Amino acid sequence: MGLEQFKNRNVGTQNYKMLDLGETPTSGMDKFKQVVQRTFKVELFIGLWVTLREMINALLRGQMHTVKYPFEKLPISPRYRAIHDMLRLLESGHYRCIGCGLCEKICISNCITMNTRYDENQRKEVSEYTINFGRCIFCGYCAEVCPELAIVHGPRYETASEQRASFSLFEDMLTPIDQLNLQKEYDGFGAVTPNADDNIKQTPLAY
Amino acid sequence: MSIHNSINKGKAITVTIDGKKCKSTFGKTILEIARENDIYVPTMCYLTKVQPIGSCRMCVVEVEGVEGMILSCQEKATDGAVINTNNDMIQQERQNIMKLYNVNHPLECGVCDKSGECDLQNKTMEFGLEEQAFTARDQYRPVENWGHVSYDPALCIMCEKCVRVSTEITGDEALKVKFGGYGSTIINTKQEKNYASLGEAAAVCPVGALVNTDFKYTSNAWELSKIPSACPHCGGGCQMTYEVKNNRIYRVTNAFEFSSLCGAGRYGFDYANENVSKDEKAFNEAVAAFKNAQSIIFSSQISNEEALILQKIKEQTGAKLVSYEARAYQKFMEAYSTITGKSLYGGTLKALSESKAVIMMGTRINDDSPIVKYHINMASKWHRARVAYMHPLEDNEIQNIVTQFIKYEAGSEEGAAALLAEALLKEAELPKSIRAFLDDLDIGNLSAESNIGEEELETLRRSLIKKTGFSLVVGSDLYAHPRAVQIAKLLALLEQYAGFNVICVPPAGNAMGISLICDLDDEAEGKTVGYNAPADFTLSALGDGDLDMPAMNQQEGTLTTIDKRVVPMNVALPYGGYILNDIANALGLNAKYTIDYTKALPQGKGFQAVEFDSLPDYFDSVGNEYRGYLLKNVKVSVKRAFDDIAEIEGFDGAVIYNCNPTEQFSAFTAKSKLLEEEAVLLGSQQFATATKLQDGENITYVLDGVKFNRVFKIDTSMKGTIALNPTFDMGLSGALLSSYRLSRLDFERAGK
Repeated sequence: MGLEQFKNRNVGTQNYKMLDLGETPTSGMDKFKQVVQRTFKVELFIGLWVTLREMINALLRGQMHTVKYPFEKLPISPRYRAIHDMLRLLESGHYRCIGCGLCEKICISNCITMNTRYDENQRKEVSEYTINFGRCIFCGYCAEVCPELAIVHGPRYETASEQRASFSLFEDMLTPIDQLNLQKEYDGFGAVTPNADDNIKQTPLAY
Repeated sequence: MSIHNSINKGKAITVTIDGKKCKSTFGKTILEIARENDIYVPTMCYLTKVQPIGSCRMCVVEVEGVEGMILSCQEKATDGAVINTNNDMIQQERQNIMKLYNVNHPLECGVCDKSGECDLQNKTMEFGLEEQAFTARDQYRPVENWGHVSYDPALCIMCEKCVRVSTEITGDEALKVKFGGYGSTIINTKQEKNYASLGEAAAVCPVGALVNTDFKYTSNAWELSKIPSACPHCGGGCQMTYEVKNNRIYRVTNAFEFSSLCGAGRYGFDYANENVSKDEKAFNEAVAAFKNAQSIIFSSQISNEEALILQKIKEQTGAKLVSYEARAYQKFMEAYSTITGKSLYGGTLKALSESKAVIMMGTRINDDSPIVKYHINMASKWHRARVAYMHPLEDNEIQNIVTQFIKYEAGSEEGAAALLAEALLKEAELPKSIRAFLDDLDIGNLSAESNIGEEELETLRRSLIKKTGFSLVVGSDLYAHPRAVQIAKLLALLEQYAGFNVICVPPAGNAMGISLICDLDDEAEGKTVGYNAPADFTLSALGDGDLDMPAMNQQEGTLTTIDKRVVPMNVALPYGGYILNDIANALGLNAKYTIDYTKALPQGKGFQAVEFDSLPDYFDSVGNEYRGYLLKNVKVSVKRAFDDIAEIEGFDGAVIYNCNPTEQFSAFTAKSKLLEEEAVLLGSQQFATATKLQDGENITYVLDGVKFNRVFKIDTSMKGTIALNPTFDMGLSGALLSSYRLSRLDFERAGK
């Protein structure tokens, strides 16, 4: 589905379904008639029936709609910005973070601290990574700036804690290696756009 | 154009660059004139301190009346030339160059150390290269770890700056270009030596190809706060910048475009006296110790302000001030100035690098002061200077620049100085008394005793004929020599009457500043207090004394440099304890901060009454140095009296020479993690035979009351019967070594 049909503002030409709402009464007599009609049509009991039906469904048929938080949680939008997750590469299982330090730099509440080093494989390695959630304002800049989609906002929105400053370490946020198959891609700001494939240019190859 | 080169040098010319009339002198390149006038010409490979490289061709300009484009970094401007630094064609040319630079350049800016201060990044943005339209087959180019520096050939743009620095500046000549078209690369021909001076080559790298291994991947450039300072290790006081994050120094950088830094300066930055708190009890003891002390012993590792504080304490308590190295230097310079009539020597490093002939005497310069060696190397490379090295011991590290090695016997420096003065002043106009003194010298005898052949000096003399611009570098063998006064006067003759550019290299740290500021005494007596020197009560920045003191990177103050400049030093790391100024205040002096003394430095000795905070610390766009201020030369009364040359004390058998390795100067560099150096007694096979020592044998010996316990190692590249005895690992007691650097070795075996 493209965006074209949303941009078409000519009412009637789109594929809309119109509701028949009848005519709105204007004169006093018409209004009086409507009241009398509704009163003696026992519409009240229609409403009461709906309630009764749902009660029966919930109590006897096990179709309860109430979410029993905190035992039950509703799925949230992928764009919701909650506690950060650190993602891994699906192929190798290695963490995605390359230690570029852009999240640390862009963080407007200065809550990200990282240390990196030169590892044995002559690569840049993250030796320490913490986020101070007492300061974090969940603005999402870190996820947006991350060139590797390594730091993202996850769905963990319960952030109440007993201490004002609570830190998270890299390991706490990293996808557990045994749950790699459950790792979800991030769709928030900074994620790959749906039409990214169209924008990719081929690398020049002279050979 | 080049035919004018020699004729019109120095003539005033006017050129028009981008419509601006620029006045300059002939001999300067178009680029230099443009920079003088703040006109921007983009460059990639241009490095002001070396000769134009001309590998990037970014600096092309258009000269009216001349066909094609001209390399502004190499071409000298002629009078009346009209130059355009930019037009569509030049812009396109530059864009094409940048495209070529970007071919297969790894897109790893995210992890590259250079990101944020990278020339390639900046220029790619500047020339608006949004996409790369062509490429080349890439090749396997592994990262190489060369010890202090690492090289990533994939990132290298082959600007050749590092090779030039390694050749023209530091003179280690380790880096070479391996030519091969697109497969060209930089190679390290002396990997086994792991030169710390390669740090200077890494500093000039415009991309992330050559980086410090220790710093690699530890921090982004923009995260580091830059603290300008001066290197406190030798007397060089070279410009450097501490780069600090979270109270840790990550690296040291410098104004590499114009100045240089040796390996010790670049890698010996990390030692600080950390986790110190105010220990009131120790402080009170220290104050009491100062009150009772009859002598204060201190090392050369202090700032000018601290030296002044000690001097003021001396004036209050009447204690003797003892600093052996500085005292020897002070006496030497006092004697020196009785001939020249000026308080300071006349030479500068810049003049040294422009000399046509350099004589070194009494110093193993590559180890004593690498920065001076760099300048000698520049003279050698740029002006093909004749370099004569006078020393009892040959130095393999400077063989590539030394044209004549004149060996003299250990202890015969006076005779050697007299012979040198006699030989080089043959044609000079001298006062009668001096001429008579030189004529009376028993040349044959001196020559026999010092073992310098008359023909050697004759060769030297003849090689200087028809040349101008001579330099003499004098080192610390001479300062502590029993005949230092006489030697100083003899060598001063060369400055006064033969126009030599003489540099008396300060023996250590801030010895020059101390020698100017303090009234020093010869020997300590009675109860002693030591500042970075062992005594009855010791103040130590190494953290092993009775009261802690800040290390040099934890204090502000000024240093006096070889170039006779007073340069500021700033605080890079925090320090929580007491400082010398607190003690001075407790003793009745009154200054809020140590730097309050900066303006009180003795003007009678050439210092200026300038506030610390108003001392400048920068280089301008063409490299003029604005760091602190230059010491003024003060007039001294002239006395042309010479003693007779003393009999030379024989040094038979095995001799050791107190000399630290190139990257080590003091107990502070010894503490540095990056400068690992084994402290062993290093001698030749011949030395081993003479002493009947075997490789790996443990021996003990005593010098100036300091007990050394050393392993003896044979170095097959050395010759003769003089062994090198490092002193940097001796902690504070290194400050007690006061006698002549060469001494006879009386040792005891302590087993293997």
